[in-house]
Amino acid sequence: MSRRELDLDAALADLGAALRFPATPDLAAAVTARLEQGPARSSARRWPAWRVGWRRLAVAGLAVVLLAAAVLAASPGTREAVARRLGLRGIGVELGGPPPPTVTTSPGARLDLGLGPRVTLEEARRRVGFPVLVPGAAGLGRPDAVFVDPAVPAGGRVDLVYKARPGLPASSFTDAGLLITEFRGQPEPGFVKKVVGAGIVQQVTVGGGPGYFFGGDPHFFSYRDASGQFREERTRLAGNTLIWQRGELTLRLEGNLSAAQAVRTAESMR
Amino acid sequence: MGETESVEGRPLDEQELVERARGGDARAYETLVRRYQELAFRTAYVIAGGSADAEDAAQEGFVKAWFALPRFRAGAPFRPWLLAIVANEARNRRRSGRRQDDLALRVAEDRPSGDAAPSPEAAALATEQRTLLLAAVGLLGEADRQVIACRYFLELSEAEMAAALGCRRGTVKSRLSRALDRLRALMAEQGGALPATRLQGGDR
Repeated sequence: MSRRELDLDAALADLGAALRFPATPDLAAAVTARLEQGPARSSARRWPAWRVGWRRLAVAGLAVVLLAAAVLAASPGTREAVARRLGLRGIGVELGGPPPPTVTTSPGARLDLGLGPRVTLEEARRRVGFPVLVPGAAGLGRPDAVFVDPAVPAGGRVDLVYKARPGLPASSFTDAGLLITEFRGQPEPGFVKKVVGAGIVQQVTVGGGPGYFFGGDPHFFSYRDASGQFREERTRLAGNTLIWQRGELTLRLEGNLSAAQAVRTAESMR
Repeated sequence: MGETESVEGRPLDEQELVERARGGDARAYETLVRRYQELAFRTAYVIAGGSADAEDAAQEGFVKAWFALPRFRAGAPFRPWLLAIVANEARNRRRSGRRQDDLALRVAEDRPSGDAAPSPEAAALATEQRTLLLAAVGLLGEADRQVIACRYFLELSEAEMAAALGCRRGTVKSRLSRALDRLRALMAEQGGALPATRLQGGDR
């Protein structure tokens, strides 16, 4: 191999070692259960994907989620009808999977939500390829903590954390009252929100553009970033979430806010 | 996962498990499934392109392999045989026209630890380079992407690659070499930022 070939070979091997695949499901239990049904049953039609999701939920033992999901997972057709009734054109709602792991924090580090390196607002602005907006709503303004991930998704991501204060109650998991995430994403058609359980989904208008408000149960959040890759995020605050688009930026706001409060805060961002 | 095994004991162990499973021992087969479920799931993921399809394909593959075990040639390597079945299931799902996600693999961030850890800047640079390279692999055609993923992301042997890709063993090398050529050309096109040359300065 030539030098150039060796370089690419080494770079790909290095990439392979650093890659993260989605978690492997427990196939052994599922396969054993199917084998116990005997060959006649197992040679029947393949299990459709929605049943796989349903089964995973059952394994997770989420009785409450199960009840809600079982209704929606009754058939793909029903599920689609429900999604349509929610006004979710262009957004896929997927039921299934274990509940999202919520980042728990130790006392003393309760503003560190596992978001990556903590930097100043100025440093964050230098390190990402887009203008970082901050809310101008009363009592907000300069964030209490700023975190940056310059590489993922492409163009970087900034997280602004605000401590709880009057009118901005603390999340039950951290001292933080509000988390704002900004990145360059492609909202549609690949803009997907996975909801676990019976959360509320509401279509809203933020500064004349479309937004979605998710309330209630914890949820996963997936989006297609500027490089076309799907990314999945954990819910960091158990509070409600507003997602909206401004220009090429996708913004997300999480906190114990009502839809109207969240939209007002979102519209104050400059 | 969950099961410990000595590297030295593995070949014999595997043969013994396969033999027992062929004789109808479901417990032995469960151990085999547990041992290879990650490999099977990831291989299916690379081919089918989405988690739900990959899980479906790997599960169906393991079930079919169980019923096909009587036809398994005693003493033959189990992994390529299994991968051929799982990959076939994954291809069927990819062709079935269901919604497909692109490979949504992620680059783990370097977590600096210990004395030999890179500086935060070097770690960020390495992560960025890997992300760029992964994005470039994602821009390749399906066949090229799969052969590179099998070799570098799944670290399959040549026989296993042939089994997973459904091609003859003799053509694996040339397929890989053509895919690497196209990847190199693609990266040159994107501004000549071949990560390898920069990795040597900043990485590790």
